Amino acid sequence: MNATALFEARGLHMRFGDRVVLENVSLAFPEGQLSGIMGPNGAGKTTCFNVLTGRYRPTRGQVLFRGQDITGLSPHRIARLGVSRSFQLLNLFNDFTAEENVLVALPGLRDHGMNMARDVMADRSLRDRAAAVLDRVGLGAKGGIPARQLPYGDRRALEIGVALAADPAVLFLDEPTSGLGADAIGRLAELVRRLKGEVTIVAIEHDMEFLFGLADTIAVIHWGQVIRHGTPDALRADPWVRNSNLGRLK
Amino acid sequence: MAAALLALENVSKVYTRGWPKRRVTFRIEADLAFDQPAIIGMMGPNGAGKTTLFELMTGSNQPSDGRVLCLGRDIHRVRYDERDRLAIHYHQSYQVRRFRRRVPSFLLERAGSDYPMVHLFDEPQFNTQDGYIGFMLDFFRRLRAEGRLVFVCLHPTARYHIDLLREICDRYLFVADGRVAAAPSFATLTQNDRCRAYLGELAD
Repeated sequence: MNATALFEARGLHMRFGDRVVLENVSLAFPEGQLSGIMGPNGAGKTTCFNVLTGRYRPTRGQVLFRGQDITGLSPHRIARLGVSRSFQLLNLFNDFTAEENVLVALPGLRDHGMNMARDVMADRSLRDRAAAVLDRVGLGAKGGIPARQLPYGDRRALEIGVALAADPAVLFLDEPTSGLGADAIGRLAELVRRLKGEVTIVAIEHDMEFLFGLADTIAVIHWGQVIRHGTPDALRADPWVRNSNLGRLK
Repeated sequence: MAAALLALENVSKVYTRGWPKRRVTFRIEADLAFDQPAIIGMMGPNGAGKTTLFELMTGSNQPSDGRVLCLGRDIHRVRYDERDRLAIHYHQSYQVRRFRRRVPSFLLERAGSDYPMVHLFDEPQFNTQDGYIGFMLDFFRRLRAEGRLVFVCLHPTARYHIDLLREICDRYLFVADGRVAAAPSFATLTQNDRCRAYLGELAD
């Protein structure tokens, strides 16, 4: 890895009781790149994500952001440093409109205190920023629609919008294609391709095809360990990949 | 001389039933030593004791007799939460460890190692459709190159299972009838009549 790592994990170990969930995982995510993490079900991908984003404190090992040790900081502290994440299962305020979902995620909102709802709707600059975020994720025309009425693919995009509202330096996406049909996956891939380069992205994904088309490098996790790391081209050259369903795709 | 990566010194595990007259329902014995990093293929019929053997090696199942030494340490005398710094057992995709805590942890020894040197893969799911097999095989090779001992336990049901074992394994163990037979190559393994019967047409 030549590019400097914006975000790094060194020797992560995670134990739940007697179970080893992560065993000596080291990863580096270079600035401006899209790094993929893939692996079969139960391999430890989501646990790895939760350790990286501060939800779990690792049993051993370090997490570094811009060279600073952030191991064990709470998720909101990590988020304030410029690390955002989306979730495998959607985390949205369903009764709120798309615009309101983004508004509550804008960092400026904290200054509004108690009367935030009334103040925010009157604050042109905040609403402009929310509109810009919605445009960025392709929901510019749908700001007024309550989240629950949006199609699933749009809700996924909205969730990415919510994560982008804080203008993070790193965006973590946890299985962004989960629950989506082929068309929606295609639109999501377009969105992620547009965002790539604007923000450093780390995506956990079960769908190899999606990652192979977007990632700069991919870490394959199995048995709680990084079993392989490489570019999509290098991974695709593996004879077992070529002979799998994936190899036949193209 | 440095301690062997793993040694099973006259290890046996016996399960019995009945009282007052006890009847042996299951028995496995092993006397094996592994000095060098290697990938060892393990096979044997269902119920032969492959998983029990793995549990004995990782310290999650106490032997009835004998000792299991991992890097020279009796793994059954090491603190429960540090045994995975010596040997770890992966069942299919996840890790299984259920320790019966007989002695408080603080009375036990430290592992003396940060990372496990023995990795036991219990029936890993080799699925030709998902594309992961090559990565898994590369990983086993990398562990060996790092000086570790790797066991791959597989119940071969298809030709490619045999092909991939032959591709990566340095040696084999065949577990049946309460015994563990070691074979230096696949060819010698299939000279064992019991093993030929077990593998059926896959032996040829």
